[in-house]
Amino acid sequence: MQPTWSIAVDIGGTFTDVVLRHSDGTLFVDKTLTTHEDLLEGFFRGVHLALGRAGIKPTDLNGSVVHATTIVTNALIERKGSTTALLVTEGFRDVLSIRNEHRYEMFDPQIEFAEPLIPRALTFGIHERTLADASIETSVDPEEIRRLAAVLIEKGVVSVAVCLLNSYRNSTNERAVAAALKAAAPALHVTLSSDVAPQIREYPRASTTAINAYTVPITAPYLDGLARRLTAEGVANRPLIMLSSGGVIGAVVASRNPVRMIESGPAAGALAASWYAELLGLDRLMSFDMGGTTAKACLIENRRPLVTGSFEVDRVWRFTEGSGMPLTIPSVDMIEIGAGGGSIASQDNLGLLKVGPRSAGSNPGPACYGRGGQNPTVTDADLLLGLLDAENFLGGDMQLDLPAAQATMDRLGRELGTDRDTTARGIYRIVAETMAAAARTHATDRGVDYRGLPLLAFGGAGPVHACAVGELLQSAQVIFPPQASVLSAFGTLVTPVRLDLVRSAVGRLEALNWNDVDSVFNAMIAEGHAALDEAGINRSDVTLEFGADLRYFGQQNEVTIEFADPRPARDWRRIGGVFEAAYHAQYGVNPSHVPVEIVSWRLTARGRDVSVAGAALAEPVEAPIRSRYIAVWETDTPVYQRSALTPGLGIPGPAIIEERETTIVIPPAWHAISEANGCIIATPKEA
Amino acid sequence: MDGIELEILWSNLISIVSEQAKALQRIAFSPIVREAGDLASALFDEKGRMVAQATTGTPGHINSLAAAGLTLAARFANRLVEGDVLITNDPWISAGHFFDITVFSPIFMDARIIGYMGSTIHHTDIGGYGIGAGARDVHEEGLWIPPCKLYEAGVANTLLHDIVRTNVRTPDHVFGDLAAQVSSGRTGGERLVAFCRRNKLADIAELSEQVISRSEAATRKSISLLPAGTWHGESRFDVPGGTIITLKAAVTVDPEKGDITIDFAGSSGASAAGINVVMNYTHAYSTFAIRSCLNPDLPNNFGSLAPIHVVAPEGSIVNAAYPSPLNARHVVGMFVPMPILKALHQIIPDRVLAEGSGAVWTVQIQGRRTDGTPYTSSMFNYSGGMGARANKPGPSAVCYPTGVAAVPIEILEAAMPIVFDRRELREGSGGRGRMRGGEGQVIGFHMRTDQPWLLNAVPSRLDEGPEGIGGGEAGAAGRFLVNGRNVSEGRKLTMQPNDRVVFETPGGGGYGKET
Repeated sequence: MQPTWSIAVDIGGTFTDVVLRHSDGTLFVDKTLTTHEDLLEGFFRGVHLALGRAGIKPTDLNGSVVHATTIVTNALIERKGSTTALLVTEGFRDVLSIRNEHRYEMFDPQIEFAEPLIPRALTFGIHERTLADASIETSVDPEEIRRLAAVLIEKGVVSVAVCLLNSYRNSTNERAVAAALKAAAPALHVTLSSDVAPQIREYPRASTTAINAYTVPITAPYLDGLARRLTAEGVANRPLIMLSSGGVIGAVVASRNPVRMIESGPAAGALAASWYAELLGLDRLMSFDMGGTTAKACLIENRRPLVTGSFEVDRVWRFTEGSGMPLTIPSVDMIEIGAGGGSIASQDNLGLLKVGPRSAGSNPGPACYGRGGQNPTVTDADLLLGLLDAENFLGGDMQLDLPAAQATMDRLGRELGTDRDTTARGIYRIVAETMAAAARTHATDRGVDYRGLPLLAFGGAGPVHACAVGELLQSAQVIFPPQASVLSAFGTLVTPVRLDLVRSAVGRLEALNWNDVDSVFNAMIAEGHAALDEAGINRSDVTLEFGADLRYFGQQNEVTIEFADPRPARDWRRIGGVFEAAYHAQYGVNPSHVPVEIVSWRLTARGRDVSVAGAALAEPVEAPIRSRYIAVWETDTPVYQRSALTPGLGIPGPAIIEERETTIVIPPAWHAISEANGCIIATPKEA
Repeated sequence: MDGIELEILWSNLISIVSEQAKALQRIAFSPIVREAGDLASALFDEKGRMVAQATTGTPGHINSLAAAGLTLAARFANRLVEGDVLITNDPWISAGHFFDITVFSPIFMDARIIGYMGSTIHHTDIGGYGIGAGARDVHEEGLWIPPCKLYEAGVANTLLHDIVRTNVRTPDHVFGDLAAQVSSGRTGGERLVAFCRRNKLADIAELSEQVISRSEAATRKSISLLPAGTWHGESRFDVPGGTIITLKAAVTVDPEKGDITIDFAGSSGASAAGINVVMNYTHAYSTFAIRSCLNPDLPNNFGSLAPIHVVAPEGSIVNAAYPSPLNARHVVGMFVPMPILKALHQIIPDRVLAEGSGAVWTVQIQGRRTDGTPYTSSMFNYSGGMGARANKPGPSAVCYPTGVAAVPIEILEAAMPIVFDRRELREGSGGRGRMRGGEGQVIGFHMRTDQPWLLNAVPSRLDEGPEGIGGGEAGAAGRFLVNGRNVSEGRKLTMQPNDRVVFETPGGGGYGKET
């Protein structure tokens, strides 16, 4: 096979990460500051740096070019989108303000809700109606839409969201609106709810449609500009874009569906975790990504990340669930915990030591950054405990201010009536407890037994705290992959091209109308093929995976199952059998006398898997093993350099293993091994 | 125990109950449990004092469960063995109507009880009258399960199982939900024992004492900052049928002891309709009102509730006596905070809110489709506007003190032949003021049918809108219209095929004089 070079670029809030990968597994990585004014500037600077390290030219990039970006999330949080209008069924103009009526925080009467993305003044009712049985009671009058288009233009609207009642069952009226709008005002961007989120429940569907319409005028020129510059540089293949569901797709499809790009960076981290699950032969694990402000965890089951059908963006009240805008699109199912390196420690009114969710962020950051941060943070505690080295942070590029950390920790210690070390140790333990508690609830909510699950630790602070969290979750092992600081970018490179589609289909399983089933799957298959064509995948390489969400009639939570193409056999019992088995595996019982209800059909179209050839290991460098006092377990502890470890080397805890962007902490009760595949794997000693 | 050690242990207790609440909500059949999270899950110490509680549910459930724990632990003291599981739906012991079943499981470690796991959830059916306020006494409202053992030493009480099975209309769902409660009690207990062994604790007595005494001290401290005296608040509202209910609350603050006492003397007497509220439920919404204004950040447990005392005349509508009917007790119970807020406005004006619509409007529809097949909807609900806060307007279409989610229109239209004509904010319904009350909603619908149908709607505040506070104006009163005509009926209505129904839910009261 011809050697190929692939490249991935992950634009995050602070850094733009680049990973260049040769087909033999060799990696070249670089990190550069994100350029918020023009994201593509940082994109290409990072690309050129990585190419320079490998000594190749842009024209040598003959593999895939994959991109993950925060551009959509930023536009939403900063409300930087274009003037957008919402068209709804007449009589339902306030769908975005009424929400679901839920007062999401019981005790606090002062809560707030995210401001609707599209104001009432730009929401218009249309005289039309589709009923729940898919019949059209009132058709769209094109003349009414023509008149409305003139109003929209006059108000400076550039993008329109259309969300009509029951359009998840029949999109005819929405399509008629789109056609009339296009005829009257061809320059308008139009997003139909039946395209972006054809699922029952009018509020989350309208919210998803509004978010898409709001951001499509930003992403379309951005991705277009990216494709043109890549071509100008001589790159052969068109760029692929990471989606929040964990698939990647062509830029044209992505630019029509910016709503699918939200959280694509973190999704890529989960994809990298599932790639490692494959490499290490582990069916299940939990990824644990701890950065500056938050930690994220994702469950990997059967070597794939769990995917959820809905999530929220822009939570305005203390990160609380319910205070943001809902999205119903497939997304890697992640929990975000307000616990990161910058999380602030303080004493509450019960005299308890609390850590987070308030964060010092990266500016001013922890007190030890010496940028004026006055509050003790997790990173300050890590430094004072000896887990971090003031002289060796980011390979020595950033000098940490030890006295500043000491002063602020002394102050908190006095408030608590204890000393500096005890306070720092308390922070180290409490932040682990916070993350373990959140991970436990997240797993239980998904019917997953977390006990014994291996953890895969990455992010700047993840490896420092992973074993402490692992102890609380009874993890069988903690895995520290190489290149942990650019793992998300790496994840996009090892992800097959993929599009996940969902369609609502509420009804009793035994009463399925198989003609409807045929037409739903045929439509999804056509959409999947078209998207994979655009990404340059041969039809012969495309795999179709069929699935559905089912539940017992009367329940709320569905179980997602996969099965062979159900269209030839037309036998609902086969689907029911798969469901019953999956339900039993999760809950241990089957209320078999209760009828089964189907909620939605799923189709995944995917290209070929990317090989799991691991990175070739660099030759170990010579580096002395130093020693430093670690206040967590109050003893002098050997400090290794990761780059100096030879494969197969056993490292009994306690030990510290340093690399440039992070530090691996092996507590006394753990034992680590440096594996030939580049991972360091820690296991509890008694196990 | 220092503030570091205690934080670690305490957060573990909360983690145990949160995990069990998630497990319960996940597998529940009862729609109100899954959609609205109408459940409570809590951990109790060996004396039956609530130590930790999941942050889910409605005030009516969680604070009533706290009371049930004390009663059950005392009543079964020295009579429990490993594997026992207690059950009751006694309205006066637990949450005020038969639908709410409490399951309470002792946790044994080294052959000794170290605590209890308890949960209350709203079940799909309990026999008897069904949803609504129409029963003439409590016995007509369904199956009454006195405190007893659902499992004895791990063996199912088959007689009790048979009684439940033969007395409810949806035995599969009730037993599915009961099994979830039993299993969450068992798992929670296992987690607590593992937690104790990991932390080398013989029991949780000392930990519980710390949690409770610190919470109690913090609550008393925040009360001690208030002025001494008695403040009065009064709230009037109409219920279906047009009856006006008056709730009077005298809130007495004793800053020296750090106590608050709320006395409902002078409130309306018992109602003939099933809207009477037991003391537990009144207590639950009263303590909720105080806590949500005084110290909403403090965890809810025996200690943070202990300094708040609630009294009401025996036999009044907020201290129902046997055999008063109780089924729709939320219709009155959700107004319990209103007079308390008005009293508190005189001492902590910045932290209270004006009156809002109070209870959500509940609806149930029964009928036959054009092809003759029958349907019965589950109960669904709509909010009015919330009262304005001192420095923020009241949210629109959101309820306080409850705050349950509404079922989407498309879900309802898919489940029965209902067609909605409208659902929008009711412009101008929020009371004017320095801060405006939240807007109510206008909801219009009709049925696609050629058969008569039954409408069981429970609106409230049709005569008088929620009052403003501090010079703010009242929100608009609600309107319940059939074919454009006002209706005020407390019973099920027989409707004709072409009837059109409109609900206009009340707006919230304004806060402060408009400038």
